[in-house]
Amino acid sequence: MIAGSMLSYEGKKRAVLLLIALGVAVWIAVDAAAGGSAHWSRVLARLPLLLTGSASGWPINGGFVLNIMLSLASMALATALGTIMGLATLARFGPIRVPAFLLMNFLRNSPWLVLLFATLYFLPFEMHVFGTVIPFPPFVKAVIGLALPTAANFSEVIRGAVQSIHSGQWEAARSLGYGTGQIYRHVIMPQALRRMIPGWMNLYALLMIATALATVTGIQDVLTILNTLLAMENERVIVYFYLTILFLFIAYCYPIAAIARRWERAVKGESL
Amino acid sequence: MFGLDYSWLADPAYQQWLLTGVVNTLKLAALSSSAAILIGMLGALGLTLRIFWIDALIELFVEVFRNTPPLLQMLFAYFTLSSLGLRVTDPSTGLSVPLLSAFACAAISLSLFGGALAIEAFRSGIETMPRAIVDAARSLGYGRWARFWRIEAPIAARICLPGLTNILTNLFKTTSQASVITVPELMYYAGQIYNDTFRTLEVMILVLLIYVVLVSILTFAMARLEALMAFPGYGRGH
Repeated sequence: MIAGSMLSYEGKKRAVLLLIALGVAVWIAVDAAAGGSAHWSRVLARLPLLLTGSASGWPINGGFVLNIMLSLASMALATALGTIMGLATLARFGPIRVPAFLLMNFLRNSPWLVLLFATLYFLPFEMHVFGTVIPFPPFVKAVIGLALPTAANFSEVIRGAVQSIHSGQWEAARSLGYGTGQIYRHVIMPQALRRMIPGWMNLYALLMIATALATVTGIQDVLTILNTLLAMENERVIVYFYLTILFLFIAYCYPIAAIARRWERAVKGESL
Repeated sequence: MFGLDYSWLADPAYQQWLLTGVVNTLKLAALSSSAAILIGMLGALGLTLRIFWIDALIELFVEVFRNTPPLLQMLFAYFTLSSLGLRVTDPSTGLSVPLLSAFACAAISLSLFGGALAIEAFRSGIETMPRAIVDAARSLGYGRWARFWRIEAPIAARICLPGLTNILTNLFKTTSQASVITVPELMYYAGQIYNDTFRTLEVMILVLLIYVVLVSILTFAMARLEALMAFPGYGRGH
């Protein structure tokens, strides 16, 4: 009680979470003593394979690192596509705005998995452009398939950020003789950019989570490797493998989401 | 058109599969959405109690389910719940079968995933509640319950509605991942059809269109609901 009254509400909450973490650690220890250590050692033996796709941990052939690489490549593409799409939906010129808007809504309303499948079958094995051959290995298809819905969501983030800038800013800039392009470049975008960043980071965390779907393209991502491994393991060990993979995702995505939230709170105060 | 072959669509068997798939998708979505909203409400109410250990437990739940792939959650539920001992012996055959069907596993894990998102949405909705109005109600002599039902709940519902729309569409789209654990919904039957006909691209385009139409109907309905419920100054009312 004395210790309780000394802690703040947040402090007490953190203490409970710490206690839960401790409880989990104790449970793992007890379970390990009761025969679980054999299961954990199987997981540990396979960990390099799950992380990098090769049994010795090097070179990188897949695994969780491939998921990270996939998410980074996909995010880069999605940011570029999403910026174009987002600005197009803000255009005043109808023939640009309306198709961009329809495309954005189409991509936003389609399930990631179905879109990924459609991309997989839609893109050819390789493409011939002016004599050069551009191959589409499954990894590239997965990058594109995951980038499409992310781009649509990012364009919505851009739209939201630009529209959240007070209209007074537009009027002030226009009365100072700025053109539309100049207003975007010098007045709106520097402010909107700050507000976009939390949304962009949240989207990245979401994309990283969605890379689990890439297993359907047949690339050696963490889930594909997991499924191959599980075929060789007994039923009891499966639980330990799943817990490990779940933990990997939390360990990677939670910090990103937490930073995004902190930034979001910091940006919220800016009204003008 | 464009070299696409849709002649297989004339086959009544495939039509029946697609229809069954759509019905099962709708069932799964309806079931997990209702459960998710319920979990979200309970969670958000639990957070308003300001009891630190309840707060910590809810936060843990939300973070775990938000930061792991729903696909992995479903696979985990499907493969491990049965191996952890949740099995029953079928009296007619004497075989030990998992207690939970694939559909039940998908529904449970989608409910928990959606519930985690809903708690977060409702919590932020309650946070943005205009305190001045609540204080005004208090000064007018509203009691605790009257204040909740007549002032706080109606405002909170309207603030939370856009977030809820996002969650429901997200959940609807995520139901397609249940096909991976062999739940016979639309995406599963799509696989069955192209395994039969080898028309992978055609089947996927059709299924994509069906999903987009269904999700668009959902977003349209929610937008209508938002417009109907709007009152001046809140949500779309201004």
